[in-house]
Amino acid sequence: MPASDIVGRARGRVPTGLLLVAPPVALVCWMIIWPIFSAIARTLWLPDPEGGRQLSVATYTFFFTDSYSLNNLAITLWTTGVCAAFLLPICLSIALYLRFADGKLAAYVQGLAIFPMFVPSIILSYALIRVLGPNGTVDLLLNSVGLPKINTPYLTPWGPVIGLVWDNIPITVLILLSGLGAVSDQSIEAARDVGANRRSVFWHIILPRITNSILVAISFTVLGIFSAFTLPYVLGPAAPEMMGPFMQRTFRDLNDPTTAITQAVITFCFCIAFGIFYVRSVAKNRKA
Amino acid sequence: MKRRAFMLSTGIAAAGLALLPQIASAEEGRIDWYTGSDQNVMDFWTNIIQPQFEAANPGITLNLVDAGDNAGIIAIAERATAALASGADPQSDYFENHDPRLPAGAIENGLYVNIKEAGLSNYDKINPLAIDTDYSVPYRGSQVLLAYDTTKLDPADAPKTFADLVAWIKANPGEFIYNRPDKGGSGGNFVRRAIYEVNGNDPAAFTVDNFTDESSETMLEPAWALLQDLAPSLFDGGSYTSGNTQSIQLLSQSAVTMIPAWSDQALQAISTGVLPETTGLVQLSDLGLPGGFSRSVILANGTNRDAALKLADFILTEDIQSAVLTELGGFPGVSWDYVSPELREKFADVIPASIPVFPGGDWEVAINDGWYRNVAPNVDRSQ
Repeated sequence: MPASDIVGRARGRVPTGLLLVAPPVALVCWMIIWPIFSAIARTLWLPDPEGGRQLSVATYTFFFTDSYSLNNLAITLWTTGVCAAFLLPICLSIALYLRFADGKLAAYVQGLAIFPMFVPSIILSYALIRVLGPNGTVDLLLNSVGLPKINTPYLTPWGPVIGLVWDNIPITVLILLSGLGAVSDQSIEAARDVGANRRSVFWHIILPRITNSILVAISFTVLGIFSAFTLPYVLGPAAPEMMGPFMQRTFRDLNDPTTAITQAVITFCFCIAFGIFYVRSVAKNRKA
Repeated sequence: MKRRAFMLSTGIAAAGLALLPQIASAEEGRIDWYTGSDQNVMDFWTNIIQPQFEAANPGITLNLVDAGDNAGIIAIAERATAALASGADPQSDYFENHDPRLPAGAIENGLYVNIKEAGLSNYDKINPLAIDTDYSVPYRGSQVLLAYDTTKLDPADAPKTFADLVAWIKANPGEFIYNRPDKGGSGGNFVRRAIYEVNGNDPAAFTVDNFTDESSETMLEPAWALLQDLAPSLFDGGSYTSGNTQSIQLLSQSAVTMIPAWSDQALQAISTGVLPETTGLVQLSDLGLPGGFSRSVILANGTNRDAALKLADFILTEDIQSAVLTELGGFPGVSWDYVSPELREKFADVIPASIPVFPGGDWEVAINDGWYRNVAPNVDRSQ
């Protein structure tokens, strides 16, 4: 069947393809694109003392001159960066192991790696307090063999990092694993035959094939972590706070929607940068 | 061609299905009840009030729904306001705890039932101190007090005044924690008690109407200084939990010795074993930690308005009000004369002589923002 037949535009027929994509596109425009523009307009078109509205960047000036807000943005970027730095090596090694190992153990490892996907983050938060919190399970185990207690990450910036890394392992592993599916056994065997060691097989054969998957995995997890709410809310320190809890608090507790929307627009600008990575690598994939 | 026709029709059918509005409506005889309170209150309604009320009123059932928090209740009230304007079904009858002044203008619009004129047989029993407006039914009270581990702190040495408490916290660094003031009333009211402390312990100094930017600066700044000064002596050199429950968790894990806690939550935690039997409770005697009453509100346009009024009358009966003391650990909304003398004797600890109630509104916003900006970040973790 020629492509034109699937798209359905040839010879004046009903444009089925376009009709099929119309509902999701309309939904995205209505629920996502429109709110973005309305949010930007609401933060730039502020009420003035005379009762009208005027163009002003006051809320953005406030954000970028307010050290409290900037600290919150900085901790969000720090948490995202640290989480990504931990996630990539951890998940890449798990994915490599799962790609090349088989047998019972690999099945168990796969089960364990996917498990966090089924644990709601609020339950994870309280469980982490129990395990890693003060006098938690880890402390009890250490104590029973006569070792000192750990310096608990609970209520420090490391609390959310540990939770977010664990929570994001499944999606990262799954994306990397699907990328590794494109690496054929023959190409690896061929490389081995000409004397390539493990490192050069990874570097010259595997890595070039999965760069796209790595980009997709990173942009996916980074987007999720940047806007995380529950884990930083429960496990993180009171201040600085990540953008998610900060926005929610500004909106609900301080009854200040304009400032909250400003924070959201700034957060969105960072996310769009990661989003561009994702879209570009998908587009590259299509061409290939 | 056949396949395309099939895809077209299923695609359109699926899209049409997704776009259809969700139709739900209130059921006659089923009271749609919402709460923004903690889980212990939900449990109390599920286990105590619901079975008793449904047994006493055949044909009426309760649909207990957790709206999350006060903001969740306000959202439902806003939906009901819209329904009132259009004559639609608000799909809600009863708010467990709500301020009828919200959303703004709700009382004037006739959104809520005037309880005083509704002819409840038990209305006269309500403690006059607890009545806030004619549009709500105060049925339980609660106050923040200090919960501590008696194995580490002898009850005889427990602090009795705020100055004692500050001295104890400084003498025992790392043994006290309170939660962020906007994330739960126990920490919020500890912060408010600190604000009273630096303003001559006079609750009358704060009213909903006397907030100005200047007054908030002069009255709140000294409190931030006091709390900053405490920070290095708190758990982990100045950490703050993100809710009432997390504070109780830290006390139960023996990570700290003392926390501020809601009286009802602490008593329930002790009775269910979340906190050990050896947990002590103490209220400051110079001026108690603030608290307040929870007041139910009934929607005038609810389908089950009359049944909801029956429910409001029911929760003021001696049985339920005694259960508020024994099962919930709160104090009753009715005057103490309507509670049995044995119970009055037994719960002398949580019966307050007076409950300071801090006003909300602008003060609440100023306290929340001020605390986050002034107290939370300035932590010297090297100490």
